[in-house]
Amino acid sequence: MATDRTAGFHYISERGEVFQAADGTWLLTSPEAVRFAHRNPEIFSSAKAFGGTGLPVPLIPVAVDPPDHVKYRRILDPMLAPRVINAMEDELRAQVRELVEAFAPTGSCDIVADIAKLYPTQVFLTLIGLPLEDRDDLIRWVETMNENTITGTDEPTPIVVEAAMSLFGYIQQAIDAKRGQTGDDMLSRILAFTGEDAWTNEEVVGLCILFTVAGLDTVTGAIGFTMLHLAQNPELRRQMLADPELIGPVIEEVLRLEPPAPTTPRVTTQEVEVCGVTIPDNSPVMLCLATANRGGDRELPDDIDAEHGERGHATFGGGIHRCLGSHLARRELRLVVEEFHKLIPDYEVAPGIQPKVVWPSSTLHLESLPLIFPPAGSKQ
Amino acid sequence: MIRLTIDYALCTGNGRCHALFPELFDDDERGYGRVLTEELGDKQLEHAQRAVIACPEQAIKVTTD
Repeated sequence: MATDRTAGFHYISERGEVFQAADGTWLLTSPEAVRFAHRNPEIFSSAKAFGGTGLPVPLIPVAVDPPDHVKYRRILDPMLAPRVINAMEDELRAQVRELVEAFAPTGSCDIVADIAKLYPTQVFLTLIGLPLEDRDDLIRWVETMNENTITGTDEPTPIVVEAAMSLFGYIQQAIDAKRGQTGDDMLSRILAFTGEDAWTNEEVVGLCILFTVAGLDTVTGAIGFTMLHLAQNPELRRQMLADPELIGPVIEEVLRLEPPAPTTPRVTTQEVEVCGVTIPDNSPVMLCLATANRGGDRELPDDIDAEHGERGHATFGGGIHRCLGSHLARRELRLVVEEFHKLIPDYEVAPGIQPKVVWPSSTLHLESLPLIFPPAGSKQ
Repeated sequence: MIRLTIDYALCTGNGRCHALFPELFDDDERGYGRVLTEELGDKQLEHAQRAVIACPEQAIKVTTD
């Protein structure tokens, strides 16, 4: 997996559309099986799967099942809708440009350390209206927490507990500071709800924690993978730079091939038959988005196929729990690609480097991606 | 008659339809797609069929009668 996700994902899908792994978990690997689970959220409970995280708050809204789930999404979807992201675009573009400008004249960078880790956290801080100076603390806490997987059942280490407490303390302070103030950031808007619509403190903290555990590391991964494929495939890059219409399809294809969250957990609430296999009640299930993305009747299932890049994939999940931040994530990726290539159109992976993903891990992202390029502004 | 519809029992607001084919769809305040014209001409059929494939939820239908 560290160097070759294709081999890793094949190993799983070859065992069947639906099968039980050695640890008792049922894996759904085909597009049909995954779609069935997405369309039946009452049978494939997300609340049961995310209920035992050891966190003191429920992860809103992923840890909520129907019928309550829709109440949260009716409020949250409009706050992360494309038209809201459009209004943030200039600010988000300026931020990524600044990150690229910092290393462009030097002739080298590490995509992971210099953009992929920094940018998603900045975007989160912008979205909920907190100062960008808090970025590095937040990155450190979330990284420490993510090293211990969020759905793991192992006792967290003291270091993880300390990081979690720092993060919770930070979020709580932010909420306390914003309560009673007016603002048009997402956190202020949620805190402004009154009467029956008001959220409890626990719900607001839970939402912010979900954003940090689901929306930072994953975008870090996606930025790294996008730039990795472009660095390793100069012909594709040249085509894309000659025809900016290809930026979207290329990003979609990298998302399809390299989902940062390759699986999502569920627990069954009743006995259920999926693709001819019976799964018992109360069984842990993993929806293998990564293998579903390469299944079906695709001509080039394991390669970037920009020509078919508009075809749908399951990287953002599906059904009622479809990634709340998908529109924001897609915009972040596009802005990184656009702004990076404006200053650095030609680059390659530093010699002797074989980029690897952190493995084992519940979310996939590169350890590092060192690139070299002609320094921007220099005469070539 | 070529007819373009979104099945809202399946749509979850992925927003691919209005991002890729703004001449056929726009978005509501939640980011869900809305069909601009239900009855299509032959020239719009190709894009409508591509939208069907682009929808991750298989919520878009093109029917001819």
